[in-house]
Formats: sequence, C-alpha cells, structure tokens
Amino acid sequence: MRIAVLVKPVPDPSALRFDPRHGDLVPGVQLVVNEYDLYAVEAALRLREQVGGDVIVGTVGGGARDALSRCLAMGADRAVWIDGEGLPGDSLTTATVVAAWLRQEEPDVIWAGQETSDAGTGNVAPHVATLLGWPLVSNVVGWQYQDGQFTLEREIEDGHQFQTVAPPVVLCALSALDTPRLPTLRGIMEARRKPLEQRTLTTLGLDPAALSPRVQWGKLFEQERRASGIVLQDVDPDEAVERFIAFLRERRLLAW
Amino acid sequence: MAGVLVFVELAGSEPRGVALETLGAAAHVAGALGEVTALVIGHECHAVAERIGQYGPSRVLVVDDPAFAAPVAGPYARALEAAVAATEPALVLLPATTLGRDIAPIVATRLGAPHLVECMSLTVEDQTITATRPVYQGKLLTTVTAPRDTVVFATVRAGAFKAPTPDEAKQATIERMTVTLDAADQRAAVTGLAPKGRGGTALESAPIVVVGGRGIGGPQGFALLEELAAALGGAVGCTRAVSDLGWRPHDEQIGQTGKQVSPKLYLGVGVSGAVQHTVGMRGAEVVVAINRDPNAPLVQMADFAIVADYNEIVPRLTKRLQELREAAGKA
Repeated sequence: MRIAVLVKPVPDPSALRFDPRHGDLVPGVQLVVNEYDLYAVEAALRLREQVGGDVIVGTVGGGARDALSRCLAMGADRAVWIDGEGLPGDSLTTATVVAAWLRQEEPDVIWAGQETSDAGTGNVAPHVATLLGWPLVSNVVGWQYQDGQFTLEREIEDGHQFQTVAPPVVLCALSALDTPRLPTLRGIMEARRKPLEQRTLTTLGLDPAALSPRVQWGKLFEQERRASGIVLQDVDPDEAVERFIAFLRERRLLAW
Repeated sequence: MAGVLVFVELAGSEPRGVALETLGAAAHVAGALGEVTALVIGHECHAVAERIGQYGPSRVLVVDDPAFAAPVAGPYARALEAAVAATEPALVLLPATTLGRDIAPIVATRLGAPHLVECMSLTVEDQTITATRPVYQGKLLTTVTAPRDTVVFATVRAGAFKAPTPDEAKQATIERMTVTLDAADQRAAVTGLAPKGRGGTALESAPIVVVGGRGIGGPQGFALLEELAAALGGAVGCTRAVSDLGWRPHDEQIGQTGKQVSPKLYLGVGVSGAVQHTVGMRGAEVVVAINRDPNAPLVQMADFAIVADYNEIVPRLTKRLQELREAAGKA
C-alpha cells in the first residue's frame, strides 16, 4: 500500500511572540512539524508495518528541510518538498498544488493532521479529498485496517462515531492516536541516505498565473483584554494566593 | 446571487445551539445580502424545521431521508451543494462544528469558492466579505477577506453571535427538497455512535470546576488539582489535549467534543484556552486562569489571572483554603 502524509512546518507554538507594531510574529521562531501531523505520520508508519508498502511525506513551502528530515528519521521512505515560492498562502491554492503532486504519486491512503497550529483552517485535507474525488474522514482518534477496509473512530460533538471506508480515502488525525515515535539514532543516520525530493509548479504541470487566491489574509492582532480582568504577574506566590482568596471572598465563591 | 443560506445542524431532534447562533449571524448580514434560507438535513426532522422557522429565516429547506440519519460528510456535502444550487445565495453560513468544517470546504472546492473559517465577526462590503477569526490556537486574531465574485462559505464560531429570540408568530415557508446521492457520496458509512458518557463525574453540575490543561505537564500534576478541587468543593475537568494524551479519562473532557459546563467558578490551570475548549465553558460566571504564559487566551479572558508556574501557586492555595475551612469549622 502506498501511504502519503501531508505535513507542515509551523512556528513552535510554545515559542511564539507577537510584534504588535508590525502585526506579525517576532521573526526567527523555530519551525517544528505541526503536532497533529506527527500523529498522522505515526499512523501511516503503523499502517505500513501492518500491510507493507511505502510512506511518502510531502509539504508545500519554505523551511521544510528539518521537518521532512524528522519524518524520514521516524521511518518514512521518501520525502517531497514542493517549492511554493510566490504562491498565495490560501488553503485552496495549497490544496490544488498538493493534489497535483498526489496525482503523480497515486497513493491509496492520505493521512493529514486535523489542522495546523498556525493558520488552523483545517481546509487543506477536505479540499484535497474533494479535488481527488475521495471520501474524507476527519477527527480520527482510532483506526483499524482489515480485509481491505478501515474502521475509523471519530471524536465528534455527540460522542465517538464509527465509520467504515475502503481506500482510497483521506484521513485526518487527532492527538488521541498512537504517540508519535521519537527518531532513533539509527533512524537519523538512515534518514540522511533517504531521498528528499523537490518538485516545482512546472514539474507538477501547474501554471502559477492560474493559481489566484480565494482568500486574502490580513495582519495579526490581539484580542482586546477583558477590561475588568485582574492579572497578577511577577507577584510573590504567597501574596498572589492571598489576593486570589480575597477575590473569591468578594465574589462570594467561598462557602465559609 | 443574493441572500444567505444557513445550514442549521441538528443534534438529535433539536437544532444545535451554535446552529441557532449561525441564524443570528445571518440576521446580522441579511440587510446587506438579502433574505435568509435555512437548510435542515436529517431523518424525520420536519417538526424541528417548523420550529426553526421561528428564528428568522423566510424559508426552510428540508432534506428528510434515512440516508441522512447520521451526520457524515459525503451525503451532507451533497445535500448542501444541492441547496446552494437551488437558492444561489451570496453567502453560505454553517456552524463551525466538526460537520460544518467538513462540508463547507468540500462544497467550496467543488464551486471554486472561498471558505472563511471560525468567523467571529462578518462584514459585508460591495465587493468583499471580511471576517475576523482566531489563529495560532486562539492566541491571536486576523482578518480574512473573500471576493464576492462567487458564493462565499463561512463557518461561524460558537459564542460569537447571539441566537435570535424565537417568535411563535413567525411562519417560514417550508419546502421539501430531495437529494440524489451517488455511490461516491456514500463510500464512508456510519456504523455506530458511542454517546458521550453522562453523569459519572459530577462535572456538569459542579458549582466549581478546576480544569487542567496541557501545561500541567503529566498525569501526576493532576493530584495537585484534585486536592485543590476538594478544598474548593469542586470537580476536576480537563482539556481535549489532556484526555487525548491519556492523562485523564475522556469523560472529564470539557469543550466542543466534550462536556459543556457552566459553573459559578471555572479555574483553568495550565489551560491555554483554545476555542475548542472555551466553547465548553463559556457559561461560567467567573473565570480564573493560572498560567505561565501571559498571552494565553484564557488569561486574556479571565476575571482573575495569576501568571506563574502552577507548582508555585496551587499547593499554597490548597493549603490556605484548608486552613481557612478548618478555622471556619472551629469558629
């Protein structure tokens, strides 16, 4: 079975800093693989271990080398970087490029993270599924593959829903799946010998001029702070606790 | 293209709360875009369709068929696409639920249309529709703008708009719509649902809820929260990240895919406050956050926040509460 995984390098969510003057992040934040995508990679590797085949990870855009190397070190067979130089960042454009690449690879299953920690639209996987004419199963928290069919457990508003579907299918991973393996030293050594291939819009048969964005993104800004909120910062812990208890008393939240 | 089509998602035989809020969002833009049509999809859902007519739409389209008994992306997307073709709206609004966020981009792809995600506000101009939405897991906001040269899809964030007050005197035209599904729409089939555990923990009725997020760092840290909850007379809950990681049982999860709580006091410890979590606690009267990150959305929305390592605060707080309770008992 050929399994493709869509991954995205994102600014490390624990290291983000906002620059209000420029309406953007303070530059230089380290890029990491989007967390849900690592769960997707892990699921793909386990599926390969069960049924054989190969796992190909792919991404669009810059800063991808470390992210793809990590996926190779986890055990992916190949990695593909699609040069997105000058591409508008909207999700339908990204999905159009990804779908063009996937048509060349002809995978049976596509795993993706449910959404990214940066823009977080969750649009790319459903767009890709639709461009390929494949079914989409999102919010996957458990899966089994048997007799040519997936049984999928999804987390939705009303509980856990179970679906069955045969490949080809696009599956979106949540972090309740198996914990992503850490790259081993051997994995890291082997990753250096694995192919990290590059594609361009031209090699994918796409015309950059035809890829016009459907959504324009504005600058970043902060939510207005709740005017009445009290924030204690750099306050001695004992004093913070006393002030908090005084607050609870004032709001009549202590029964005594 | 004129008017607004609203997908009013059902939860069983009732409209979902956020779906009614989506009708509120529609009312907000109806002046600029024209009349509102509601779309109800399900099985044996005619009665609820009539009630939805009291929330402001002039028309309610009903797709009522056993094929739509369970929410599943393929058939629901086809029904939405059929309703878009039938009404040719300028804007399609959906609640930003798991289903809404599946089917909006599916149908948007087929129509080459933009999808604005998790909208907190909507502004209609002559040529464009602009929305405010959270990014970076709710830590920051941005604006997204779509041209009005095609239909525009927008999913509406829970809590951003008010549901209209129902008016029993209002009568919407109810129209049945049949949708033809092909085999490709039905490739993924729903085989079952394990409903959310109810009861078990007293989380939903507890007056005080102490919630741990990923910032707790591991299952051990929750012992401190249990002691704090006991000292306050409250229950312990957690975020999805925590239950996904297996640190706490799933039935303690609060949020979009977990429980909804509305306690007198919500105390979030190491909880960043992503929208998927905060939609489950927005009924809380008083919100308190203990977090190392001053930029965490929960700190921003809190009535009282302590920016510190919780290990420095929680044990001290528990001890002081125990002392006070003991002193009160003796008095």
